[in-house]
Amino acid sequence: MSTLFSGQLLFAALVVGSIYVLIALGLNLVFGTMRLLDAAHGDIVMLGAYTSFWLFTLSGMSPLLSMLVAGALSAGFGAAIYYGLFRRLLANTQLSQRLEGNSLLLFFGISIILQNVAALCFDTTPRAYTYLDGIIRFGNVAMTGNRIAVLIIAAVLCAAAFLFLRFHIYGLAIKALIQHRQAAAVVGVNIERIQLLSFAIGFGLAGLAGSLLSMTEQITPFMGFPFTVAGFVTVILGGLGNLTRGMAAGMFLGFVEIYGVALTSPSLHSVLIYGVFIVVLFLQSQGLLGRRPS
Amino acid sequence: MQPVPIRTSLIFVAVIGAASFLPQFGSEYVVAVALSFAMWVALAQSWTVLCGMTGYGSFGHAAFYGMGAYVQVLTWGTLSPWLSVPLAGLVSCLFALAAGYPALKVRGPYFVMLTFGLAEFLKFSIIGIEATLGQFSRLIIGAPSPNALYLAMLGLAAAATLITYVVSNSRFGYGLRAIREEEQAAETIGIPVARYKLTAFGLSAFIPGMVGAVMAMRLSYFEPSQAFDALISFNIVVMAMIGGSDDARGPLLGALFLIGLSELLWARAPQVYMIVLGALLVFFVLFAPQGLAKQLFGGARRRAT
Amino acid sequence: MVDKLVGKLNALAVLNNNALGETHMLKKALLALAIGSGLLLPGTADAADPVKVGFAVAKTGLFAGAADGQIKIYELWKDQVNARGGLDVKGVKRPVELVYYDDQSDAGKVVQIYEKLITGDKVDLLLAPYGTSSHIAAAGVVERYKFPMVGNTAASVKLREIKPGNIWFTTGQMPDRLAVSLVELFKLKGIKSIALLANQLPFSLESKTYLVPALTKAGIEVKVSEEYPPSIKDMTAMLINVKQANPDAVVAFSFPSDSAIYLKQARELGIDAKFQFVEVGPTEAAFAKQFGEALNGIVTMGHWTPDNKQWTGARALFDSYVQKYNEPPSYLNAPLVYMSCQILEQAVAKVGLDRDAIRKTIATDTFDTVNGPVKFEGIENVGTPAGLLQIQGGNMTLIWPPSIATADFKPKPAWPAK
Repeated sequence: MSTLFSGQLLFAALVVGSIYVLIALGLNLVFGTMRLLDAAHGDIVMLGAYTSFWLFTLSGMSPLLSMLVAGALSAGFGAAIYYGLFRRLLANTQLSQRLEGNSLLLFFGISIILQNVAALCFDTTPRAYTYLDGIIRFGNVAMTGNRIAVLIIAAVLCAAAFLFLRFHIYGLAIKALIQHRQAAAVVGVNIERIQLLSFAIGFGLAGLAGSLLSMTEQITPFMGFPFTVAGFVTVILGGLGNLTRGMAAGMFLGFVEIYGVALTSPSLHSVLIYGVFIVVLFLQSQGLLGRRPS
Repeated sequence: MQPVPIRTSLIFVAVIGAASFLPQFGSEYVVAVALSFAMWVALAQSWTVLCGMTGYGSFGHAAFYGMGAYVQVLTWGTLSPWLSVPLAGLVSCLFALAAGYPALKVRGPYFVMLTFGLAEFLKFSIIGIEATLGQFSRLIIGAPSPNALYLAMLGLAAAATLITYVVSNSRFGYGLRAIREEEQAAETIGIPVARYKLTAFGLSAFIPGMVGAVMAMRLSYFEPSQAFDALISFNIVVMAMIGGSDDARGPLLGALFLIGLSELLWARAPQVYMIVLGALLVFFVLFAPQGLAKQLFGGARRRAT
Repeated sequence: MVDKLVGKLNALAVLNNNALGETHMLKKALLALAIGSGLLLPGTADAADPVKVGFAVAKTGLFAGAADGQIKIYELWKDQVNARGGLDVKGVKRPVELVYYDDQSDAGKVVQIYEKLITGDKVDLLLAPYGTSSHIAAAGVVERYKFPMVGNTAASVKLREIKPGNIWFTTGQMPDRLAVSLVELFKLKGIKSIALLANQLPFSLESKTYLVPALTKAGIEVKVSEEYPPSIKDMTAMLINVKQANPDAVVAFSFPSDSAIYLKQARELGIDAKFQFVEVGPTEAAFAKQFGEALNGIVTMGHWTPDNKQWTGARALFDSYVQKYNEPPSYLNAPLVYMSCQILEQAVAKVGLDRDAIRKTIATDTFDTVNGPVKFEGIENVGTPAGLLQIQGGNMTLIWPPSIATADFKPKPAWPAK
């Protein structure tokens, strides 16, 4: 039981949680503002990871620097597919009737394309590199530099996102759009621009998360799917479209994953996560956890 | 229920009849492709009974397939395989009824994700159970011949098509569509919404359970992470979507189209095939959201909107 | 004469079309030269007909990453055979043409593909698909058509339930034999206690099932024993328990993705057991890149090394792989796959393409491979022992069993702090 109070466990939960927070934030932005379910979110993470891997391998660029490149590329990609595909989907009244379902399929199609284009271009061999691999000790907690970097950068990004949504005029506009689309339009929010921005920020965050992960994980074209799933679990836990609670839910999931295993048994890892997921969905549909889904 | 048009029933009987002679003159490979076609027809038809008609999209049909396969390997050697197949359907159906009772209260995208979550939960539970039992994978030795399995699968595809057809033209089917269009309103005009939804869910699990049982014999190997693979769920949705429609034509067209495409492309350019598949999905959602059936047969049945 | 020439050119075109990987210009020239020189030899008129060798590969899906090395070996083997003037079919050299399809890592597709290869493409020979489940699926097909196939990347005690006769497996790492090897080495090195971690996938669980009784028999205490599902992302909780138990050895029956997690976090926590076994993964190139020095001292499974001088062609395989693909081959899968090609090649050289004769030859002969002599009993290769590899000073070395080892086990050094 003493295990439970170990700082090591806390650190692990924070690192896992912070990645979930980043991934879920982007997913939630895209859903909140447009009711789109981004089933390709994990694949943007994958693209971010490859970006950092190749920049490091070919030019020795630090992932701490190349994460900006990855973020920018992913944001650009988000903007491009918003213009190319989703404006059309959102504008078509017939299609927007079943927007969630349709967008899920649309993104699923994009996910298949991205995975296989990556497999075609980079082949399927797992890739990895070493960066900030030194071990740093605080008391009896040992951490590798790259995991500390993941934690710090994720925290900074989350804080920035939080402040942006709270104080920046565009951030407020995003929140307005999430809360009430029609009303937001009435008070003069440029819906088109906010949707584009949500896409860019959402995808950019996923790309950044990918860069961070590239320091600690092996990279393959198919690495994204588990992150998509984790992202969805997180977003559901916090309530679709609820950004701040989504961020808290990411941390919560990280803690469920680490402490749940520590309290019970590692063999229950996935049963536990999906169990929580299912229970929350049931409760939410009964309106027991705040805002009832529309 | 409307009377079945004679022409439709004649075509149906003729196609099934002709298909059952395939092993006599087709090569084994043709039979293999036909088997996989029949499998997807059976799965996509079953999906349509629930999801096409009620609008409750399931991303978890792999659970029923996997359950069926599991029942087959569990009873292998103790029960005749042809008894295990209907048993597998029954178990899947019961499981769907038990899970569907609470699950069908959840709507929209939450339901989609719930079905996915339930399927994954079941998968990892069975991985855990098998590990505790000390059974890490199971082998089926002495399975029936591929031709027998093909005929069984053909039967399942025919049965699934028939079920979808009958349901879609029945009072029950119209009730299900009313639920899709406006659940509250359907309730108000006296449709027993909860019972209808649960019945549809149970029906849509029955055949996939049997398909899983037949496929377990075809693969002669069972491992939970493969039998409950989420990819099976996704493929079903993609086929049903591309086929479109809420009657028996959509799944047929969807399966035919994708199996045909896969035979054309997959052989020499695997990754390109997957990319084309993804692009098609994007294309269909954006430009032909009601699928092939609508494109080919026009709007036979207008939606309320 | 003109006809023959056209035939030759066609064969050459087939070869070039088939070289999906990047064949270097120089190699192409050599190939052309090799085949061109065949023109001048008498008695090779029918030799232009290529021998079609079919198989299913996992280009997409779950196994795509792991199966990449298998395709690379098949391609390498084909290039080598053709550079030698072709496959020796009972004295007649004929070029090899590979026919393969993507199985999407789906066993159902594997069945279809092997049926297609046999009945549609009418291939002359078969090579194996990737992974245990795909092998078992293909076993049914080859049995039905009585088409002999030498399997490679599969290991499970369940394989012994398959009817022998048309399929064989080159691995020496059957889980029960691996357990024996591990315990023998433990006893020799004075290991008294271990911590055991196992992924809930068939191979790792089988390994565990056979290891535990063997440990009990040897009087080795299991201080920690945990299982986890394949989706695990973090092992901190498990590893804290391992560290507290302070065992002499850690055995992680893991697959590549969780092997990486183990290595990362065991190093972070400073688990300093002198013997740390990580089952699948450390032989792959990505591990060397990701972990570098931290891999030193890690023991993993595998029964091959290019350094064993008694194995003809072992070093050559390593060198030609590096030359073609610019990275070292997997010490685990590459030799298994290459052995399966060699066995087929030797059987065909002896008896030609007659399936009954090939079957009889494979079942009874002893084959000389890059991994030493191979002999089958039932479906199982009894010529190759279950081996253990250890990374020493950045190199993969074979440390067990003594009959084939090229180095001795060294206690694992402390994890690098850098």
